[in-house]
Amino acid sequence: MEESKQNNQEEQKPKLEKPAAKPKPKSKPKPDQTFILSSSPHQVKTDDVKTVMKHVNMALLPAIVASVVYFGFRSLFMILTAVISCVLTEIVINKMRGKQFREGSAIVTGILLAMTLPPTLHLGFVVMGSVFAIAIGKQIFGGLGYNIFNPALLARAFLQASFPVRMTTWTNPSTLDAVTTATPLGGLKFENIVSPYFDMLIGNCGGCIGETSALLIIVGGVYLLIKKYADWRIPVSYLGSVVIFGTIFWLINPGQYPDPLYHLFSGGLMLGAFFMATDMVTSPVTPKGSWIFGIGAGFLLVIIRLFGGLPEGVMYSILLMNAFTPLINRFTRPKFFGEVKK
Amino acid sequence: MAKKKISLLKEFTKGLWDENPVLVMLLGLCPTLAVTSSAINGLAMGLAVLFTLTASSTIISSVRKIIPKEVRIPTFIIVIATFVTITDKSMAAFQPILHKSLGAFIPLIVVNCVILGRQEAFASKNNVGRSIVDALGMSVGFTITLTVLGAIRELLGAGTIFSLQLMPDSFVPWMVMILPPGAFITLGLMIGATNWINARRER
Amino acid sequence: MKSAKLIIVLTLTAIISGAILSVLAGITQPIIDEYQTDVLKTAVGDVLPNINSYDIKIIENTKFFVGKDRNNKPINVAFEAVGDGFQSKLKILVGMNLDMTKILSIKILSQLETPGLGTKIETDPGNKEDDAWFGKQFINLNTSSSLTYLKNEKPDKSKGQIMAITGATISSKAVIDIINATMAINRPLFTKEVN
Repeated sequence: MEESKQNNQEEQKPKLEKPAAKPKPKSKPKPDQTFILSSSPHQVKTDDVKTVMKHVNMALLPAIVASVVYFGFRSLFMILTAVISCVLTEIVINKMRGKQFREGSAIVTGILLAMTLPPTLHLGFVVMGSVFAIAIGKQIFGGLGYNIFNPALLARAFLQASFPVRMTTWTNPSTLDAVTTATPLGGLKFENIVSPYFDMLIGNCGGCIGETSALLIIVGGVYLLIKKYADWRIPVSYLGSVVIFGTIFWLINPGQYPDPLYHLFSGGLMLGAFFMATDMVTSPVTPKGSWIFGIGAGFLLVIIRLFGGLPEGVMYSILLMNAFTPLINRFTRPKFFGEVKK
Repeated sequence: MAKKKISLLKEFTKGLWDENPVLVMLLGLCPTLAVTSSAINGLAMGLAVLFTLTASSTIISSVRKIIPKEVRIPTFIIVIATFVTITDKSMAAFQPILHKSLGAFIPLIVVNCVILGRQEAFASKNNVGRSIVDALGMSVGFTITLTVLGAIRELLGAGTIFSLQLMPDSFVPWMVMILPPGAFITLGLMIGATNWINARRER
Repeated sequence: MKSAKLIIVLTLTAIISGAILSVLAGITQPIIDEYQTDVLKTAVGDVLPNINSYDIKIIENTKFFVGKDRNNKPINVAFEAVGDGFQSKLKILVGMNLDMTKILSIKILSQLETPGLGTKIETDPGNKEDDAWFGKQFINLNTSSSLTYLKNEKPDKSKGQIMAITGATISSKAVIDIINATMAINRPLFTKEVN
C-alpha cells in the first residue's frame, strides 16, 4: 500500500514514463522525450504515490478514531510520535543518500506501526521502532519499492523480540487503569477466558491501540477496496482461508479450538488483512499470486495461533509470506501471448 | 605459486582488514553468528580458532611437499580435527563453564571455512614462517571481529561488556540483540560499514 | 606406486592423530568426569537439605538419588525431570520428601530458553533482591494435588501454586508441567519400591 506500482516504473525509467503520465507537459518537450519508446504496459494513470497515501490515511481514520475513543489521547500521542519520527528518519536518510523526500509513505508506516503497539508502551520505544522501520526496514534495502518486508511489521517484530514484556502489557480500554488485562487471544490461550463477540467487534477489549475495533477497520478497508487502492484478492483470500482452516480445527475439536468467528474478530487480523498484507511493495503483483499469498498467510496464522508459543500470529504470518513474495511472483508470471507450454 | 614477495608485516595485516575472514571474505559465518551473544564468547571462540588455525598451518606447511595432491583435503581435515579435539577436550577439562556456553560450536570449528580455506589457499603453498604469520593475521582478524560483534550485541542486549555494567540502570536491554536476529542485523551492519569505509578510501 | 603413497600418507596421518588424541584423552577425561560428578553432587546436595550422603537407586531405568542422614537412614529423594520448554529441553533436578507429597527444592540443570526471558526460570537479573526467586518458590511446595501457576494473585504453597514469570508464561508452565508429569510416573514407582 505504501506506493503505487506506477511509481515503481517511474523510479526505474523516470525520463520515459513521466511525460506519458502527464499528457500536457508544461515546458516544451525535449527532443528525446517527444517520441516515447517503451515496453508495455502502456497504462496511463493519474495516481501518484501521494494520492495513494492520502487515501490510505483516510481509510485509517476510522480506526484512529476508535483507538482514541478506547485508549484516550495517549494513543493519539503515540501515533503522532511514530509519524514524526518516521518522517524525520526518512528525511535524514534521504539527505544522506542525496535523494529528495517525495512520498508520504513514511507517514503511513508511522501510523501503521503505532497502531500495532500496546497502549502502555513508553514513547521512547515508539521512536526506536519508527527509526528501525524506516532505516533498517526500508532505506537499507534501497528505499521505497525495494524493501522485502513491510517496514511497520518488521519494526514491530523487532520491538516484540527486544521488549517482550512491554510489548505484551495490555490495559482494559473501558477503565483505562494500569491493571493489566489479557487480549482475547492471550486470554483464550493461557487462561481459558473467552471474550464476548460484540466487544471484539466494536473494539472494547485488550489489544494494540489500532487493532481492537474490527468494525471500524473493515469500514476503512472496504473504502480502500472500493477505491481500488488495495488488491481485494488479498484480504478476501486471507480472511477466507482463516475461516476455512479455523473451521476445520474447530470441527475436529470444538472444546479445544476457538470457532472461526473468534479467529476473525480477535487480534490484529482485520488490520493486517486490509492494511498490511495489501502493501503493494511486499505482496505479489499477479492476481494468482495474490490468492496464493492470502491463503498462505491465513494457513500460517491459524497454525501459529493454535500451535505456536505466542497467542497471536498476524505479524509473523504476513512477514513470512512477504519473504515468499519474490518466489510467488516468479512462479505466477503471466505467459506471453502465444507462448506454448513447455 | 610464483607470487611477488610481500613483506611479512603485510602478510599479517591483510587478515586484519583487507582480507578479513568475516567482514570481507564472509567465511566462518556459522560460529560467528551463533556464539557472539557476548564479548567473552566471541573472544573465546576467536582464541580457539587462533590456536587451531596456527597449529594446523604450521603442520600442513611443514609437510606440504610430501602430501600428495589427491588426498590433501582429507589430510587437512584430519590435522584440523586433531587440533580441534585437543582444544575441545582441554577446554572441557580446564574451562568447563566456558566450554558449556560455547557448546557444540567448538567441535564445529573443524568445518570452519576460515581454517580449511587458509590451508588450501596458503599453507599448502608457502613456507612455514609465512604460513604461521598468515594464520596469526587471519585468526587475529577473526578474533577481533567476533569480539567486537559480541561486545556490541552484549552492550545493547544486556547493557554490559565482558560482564561489566556499562549502561545506566534505566537502560532497557534490547533482548533481540542477544537472540539470533540480533547477530544477523549487527553483522550485516558491520559488513555494510566495512564496504562503505573501503569505498570511501578508494575515492 | 602412486596410489600406495596416497594410502601411506593418509594412514600415517590418521595414526599420528589417533596417538596424540588417545594420550590427550588419558589426561583430560578423568578431569572432565570428576567435574561432572562434582556438578551432580553439588546439585543433589542443593535440592536435598540436611543429607550426609546419597545413594543412586535405579528402579525400572529411572534414577533416584536417595539422600541419607548421618545414621545412613534415607530421609529424602531426588530425581531428574526432563521435558520440552519454550524452545529447548529443560532438565530439572527435583528433591522431594520420601512419600513424594512435598517438594523440598528444585534446580534447573540445563536449559537454553530465550535469553533474558525464559532464562528467568534459572536466574532473573531483573530482580535485584533475589535473582533465583522463581526456583525458590518450589521450596516446601505441597504436591498432594498437581502444581498450578497464577499470574496476578498471590500463590498459596499449601495448594501447590506458584507465580508465573511475566512474559515467560510458557517457560514457567513448562517447568510445572514437566515436574507434574515426571512426578506422576515416579511417585508410584518409588513408593512401591520403598514400602
